[in-house]
Amino acid sequence: MLYLKKGFVIFVLVMTFLGIIAGCSSTTNKSVSKDGTIKLRMVESITSPARTKLLRGMLDKFEKENKKIKVELISPPLQSADDKINQMLMAKEDIDVLEVREQTVKNFSNNKFIVDLSPYTNKWENWNTLTETIKHGATAVDNKPYYIPYGVYEKTLFYRKDWFQEAGLEVPKTWDDLVNAAIKLTDPAKNRYGYSFRGGAGSPDYIEFMTWSYLGKKINPKDAYFTQDGKVIFDTPEAKQVLDTLVKLYKKASPPDSISWSYPEMVQGFTSGMTAMLIQDPEVIVTSEENMKKGTWATAPIPKGTPSGVAQQPAGTAGWGIGAFSKHKDAAWKLVSFLSSPEENLFFAKNNSLIPIHLSAGDDPYFKEGYFSSYIEMNAKPDEFLIADRPVEYKGYADYRAFAVKDIQSLLLGKMSEEQALAKWTDFWKKEKENKK
Amino acid sequence: MKTQTETVTERSLPSFSISRHGLFIFLCLLPALLLVTVFIYYPLFKGVVMAFQSYSLFDLSNIEFIGLENFKTVMADSAFKESLINSFYWVFFSLLPQFLIGFIVALLLRRKFRGRGIYQAFIFFPWAMSGFLIGLIWRWMLNGQAGVINDLLIKLNIIDTAIPFLADPTWAMVSVIVANVWYGITFFAIMILAALQSIPDELYEAAKIDGANYIQQLFKVTIPYILPTLIVTTLLRVIWILNFPDLIYSLTNGGPAGSTHILSTFMLEKLIYGQNYGQAAAVGVILIFILLFFSIFYLLATKFNKAGDF
Repeated sequence: MLYLKKGFVIFVLVMTFLGIIAGCSSTTNKSVSKDGTIKLRMVESITSPARTKLLRGMLDKFEKENKKIKVELISPPLQSADDKINQMLMAKEDIDVLEVREQTVKNFSNNKFIVDLSPYTNKWENWNTLTETIKHGATAVDNKPYYIPYGVYEKTLFYRKDWFQEAGLEVPKTWDDLVNAAIKLTDPAKNRYGYSFRGGAGSPDYIEFMTWSYLGKKINPKDAYFTQDGKVIFDTPEAKQVLDTLVKLYKKASPPDSISWSYPEMVQGFTSGMTAMLIQDPEVIVTSEENMKKGTWATAPIPKGTPSGVAQQPAGTAGWGIGAFSKHKDAAWKLVSFLSSPEENLFFAKNNSLIPIHLSAGDDPYFKEGYFSSYIEMNAKPDEFLIADRPVEYKGYADYRAFAVKDIQSLLLGKMSEEQALAKWTDFWKKEKENKK
Repeated sequence: MKTQTETVTERSLPSFSISRHGLFIFLCLLPALLLVTVFIYYPLFKGVVMAFQSYSLFDLSNIEFIGLENFKTVMADSAFKESLINSFYWVFFSLLPQFLIGFIVALLLRRKFRGRGIYQAFIFFPWAMSGFLIGLIWRWMLNGQAGVINDLLIKLNIIDTAIPFLADPTWAMVSVIVANVWYGITFFAIMILAALQSIPDELYEAAKIDGANYIQQLFKVTIPYILPTLIVTTLLRVIWILNFPDLIYSLTNGGPAGSTHILSTFMLEKLIYGQNYGQAAAVGVILIFILLFFSIFYLLATKFNKAGDF
């Protein structure tokens, strides 16, 4: 009986541990089935029901062309997708293909979550047909291609053509024009405002590209939060001009609630007919086409700074990379190169409202004419519309983006002065620079 | 079967021995214990350890122990101090109305009347909703331009121009608290109603015979009888209100300018936007200590032991 008891104890302990171990490692060795079919796991980040469906369709096509490969698509909810991907990679899960973004590529490569794709891209026939912006984005970290972008997110100006015509206004070319037009179009009694202001999450992005636009070629293109002569960009008279412009724009031409607006509210504000102007990424083109009458709206290049006379913004890229813990890296590359081929990418970009990655897409009438033409116009004038890189190589960038939102709101509420905000940001970036050395 | 001597030797062993019955109970508890250890105590421990490390998502290959550095950085942050003060307002002004209104609702529901079941279901409905969803609903209702609340107030001629509920720091705090009160009344109503139903009717009959009116019955019979429930539910609610970030996170996300941040949403911000797990963990540890001290102080102050066992 005593033996039986011991046996029972051991039995229970073993079963419990087996249970826990099995629960933790359910994915081992399932990726190859008996008949040699490989199962790839792919995780996307900027998810939406429509995009997931589109992507699934492309994956089905890939599976048809490659009978021995199956792809499982994992689509976490948008809000927490990047966190989810991080957690999966921290747990060393064998993700084969994952969505890598300009904002996450540095983290991922630092932590050795993704692999350098140069062994593959060296032999890839389509590498040389990529546009310069895409090559630039792909190799932004350590000069190595860590991912192949599927498109570019660049901002453009959306405006209410009908309201502008009614008021006899010209489409703004500079930020000063924009502020004046916005004020003229504002009429709170009619619940009509000039500008879809962003005061909530993501607002530091607007400070960033406006300051770059105002400073123009004074910034250091390799280290864009600093000027050519080594000053922090916020330590300049131009930065003060930017904050003046923003405060005026908020107080005189934007809905009061927009102090907490972020992406969905800004877009909703424009498409629902509350605001006359919006500066946003190309995917808003599809949303506007769905929700607004044709002819009531149009797009234009983003406004320029004064006195620089140029506009300067980051070219946000997102794309597909290969996970470091993948067991089928060659098959994963097959999938990445399939998704990045000129035909597939053109299809994805068109349906997802993005600027495509290959040079050949410029000839496509959809992008040459219509709402995308503002992008083509900006691309055609590289001296007036410059591209700068976000300081993703700095550890404090995420932290800055978090607290600057609060500072901008404090500024708009009058709880903080422009000088205080600029001094705070300048100090922060000075320290970042010192710590990085 | 054991022989007589075996039993005797077993008995003469040092006092650390478990009877067969005890062992059986232990084995039955083991799976649960292991699960709780793996999924609750291990993360808790890991979180406390993280608070002393330079744990940032930016570079996970370079994690070191940095002593109290995270605590120093967090405490020096003016946003932390603001969140701490906000936490106090948030808990106090949410709890008091929740408790009072919940109590009144429970007293009203105690009497039998027609349709009580349906009425009860309506009252208890908010409790079944997620805080996140409630935040989103209130966010649209309170919208300064298109919100239904402003629209109603204007149509009723109470105000002329729309109130920027979520854009003005003071109004934003009022808004999140109102939403939280609306959400939490139900909890008190359910718990207090359950306690009320356990009071024997004889007590009231005796009180009536002694000539006690309704108010006297309330203070001499009802409240003393359910006091332990009141103390425990209040304590639980304080812990929840302080800990749960979901409502504020979805309603204002701590804005504008940090004016509605409480400690738990401040922690989330460090985690999600700042990607600094070490500092977020430090805020978490501070939060645990605050709650621990509060609980001890509260239970001592209410002389919980004398209030009867629960």
